[in-house]
Amino acid sequence: MDALLSLSNDLAGAVERAAPAVVAVHARRRLPSTGIHWRPGIVVTAEHTVRTSEDITVTMADGRSLPAELAGRDPGTDLAVLRVADAGSVVATPGDDAALKVGHMVLALGYGPRASWGVISALGPRWRSWRGGDIDRLVRLDLILYPGFSGGPLVDAAGRVVGLNTSALARETRLALPVTMVARVADELLRKGHVSRGYLGLGMQPVRLPEPLRAQLGLGDGGLIVVMVEPSGPAAHGGVLLGDVLVALDGEPVGELDDVQARLGSDRVGTEIRAVVLRGGVRTELRIRVGEQPRRRG
Amino acid sequence: MSAVLAEPVTSAASALAARLAGITVEVRGQGRASAGGLPLGAGVVWRADGLILTNAHVATGAVSVVLPDRRVLPARLAARDVEHDLAALVVEATGLSAAEIGDSDALRVGELVLAVGNPLGVVRALSAGLVHATGRRFIQADLRLAPGNSGGPLADARGRVVGLNAMIVGGLALAVPSRAGCRFAREWLGR
Repeated sequence: MDALLSLSNDLAGAVERAAPAVVAVHARRRLPSTGIHWRPGIVVTAEHTVRTSEDITVTMADGRSLPAELAGRDPGTDLAVLRVADAGSVVATPGDDAALKVGHMVLALGYGPRASWGVISALGPRWRSWRGGDIDRLVRLDLILYPGFSGGPLVDAAGRVVGLNTSALARETRLALPVTMVARVADELLRKGHVSRGYLGLGMQPVRLPEPLRAQLGLGDGGLIVVMVEPSGPAAHGGVLLGDVLVALDGEPVGELDDVQARLGSDRVGTEIRAVVLRGGVRTELRIRVGEQPRRRG
Repeated sequence: MSAVLAEPVTSAASALAARLAGITVEVRGQGRASAGGLPLGAGVVWRADGLILTNAHVATGAVSVVLPDRRVLPARLAARDVEHDLAALVVEATGLSAAEIGDSDALRVGELVLAVGNPLGVVRALSAGLVHATGRRFIQADLRLAPGNSGGPLADARGRVVGLNAMIVGGLALAVPSRAGCRFAREWLGR
């Protein structure tokens, strides 16, 4: 067979394999968004498309309209999880997002099904969204996410789900959340209803350290000067004072706020973290029991 | 590693592009004023004996047609169906390369489609994309079109014409299905 025809058949086949797990999510006015039937009775979608927590319905690929209940949401990563009774057993087949390369041909799917074709345009390391969530890996797409496509699957040429598409995490840029991250966040949302983040209760700013002090104490370039200590917060309990300069957490130097955030994942909540601060030019070790970041309702 | 599939895909696509260019005409307004201007749109050679299909919104009055071999012929507007955005033009010519017509009802979401037309005056330019959605009045394609593509062919990966590109809505290409084209040719022309 002609190579172009083979490719065409492969792409249409990929849509047919993935489409039975692609659903419409009715959780905002006017335009529905797309969701992925993730496990039997569990649908994942893009959090920003869930504008109501009541009267949510889901239209399955077979056309059935079913009531759904919001099981959890995380604005930071733009993921929400819905519970849908009697949704059937046809669920998405996850692919291997670690194998993605720039230039790989991919399809974005919307409910219907509808398809959009393009390539992986860039891959990058872990990053933090403007909504404050830690995203495992940057997956930038060169394709159009048509209206209603957010929350839908990014599939590879074999029809396996490698990501969840969203247009809300970066301006003018189409992104996918890697499927392994979707799995992890969805599990946490099902367990707790939200994603917790570690919290110290500190306001800090980067400062450069004077060379003699760096040499004397064997420190990195900079540290973070404490400009606010939340009264009775985790750091206050641990003994941190206004004016301290934080230089290390768990033995690793910290020079930027991101270095701190990177050590405050949900697994650290309730555990002790070792902090090194400079106080009056003297190295001081403290222990802080990591709290949970207070949630803003939105 | 050599390009096991990319090379044959690329050469098959360019062969198809040439084939489609051979059945695509420019539709131009008549008269000196429009001779040097942009084409009104495109058309598909539907039959070898000079029947050309285009959009009704392209053929609104007297037009001339530029054939793939660069011949410029006056065209008679034989029929027009505004509801389906279809028009039939007849030129005095025989032995033209005619389109192979495909079945628009057999299209699958995700299959590749190619469009040829005169976007913004670029003659017989190719666009590639895929079927975005089916089961509606128009074929929806994830494909970049521009004014001047109207009336030109939308073809599948075998080169069969499955639609006539008609408009751009929200970045999507909308094409009149070939089924509607066949029905139009039958009903209006009795052929």
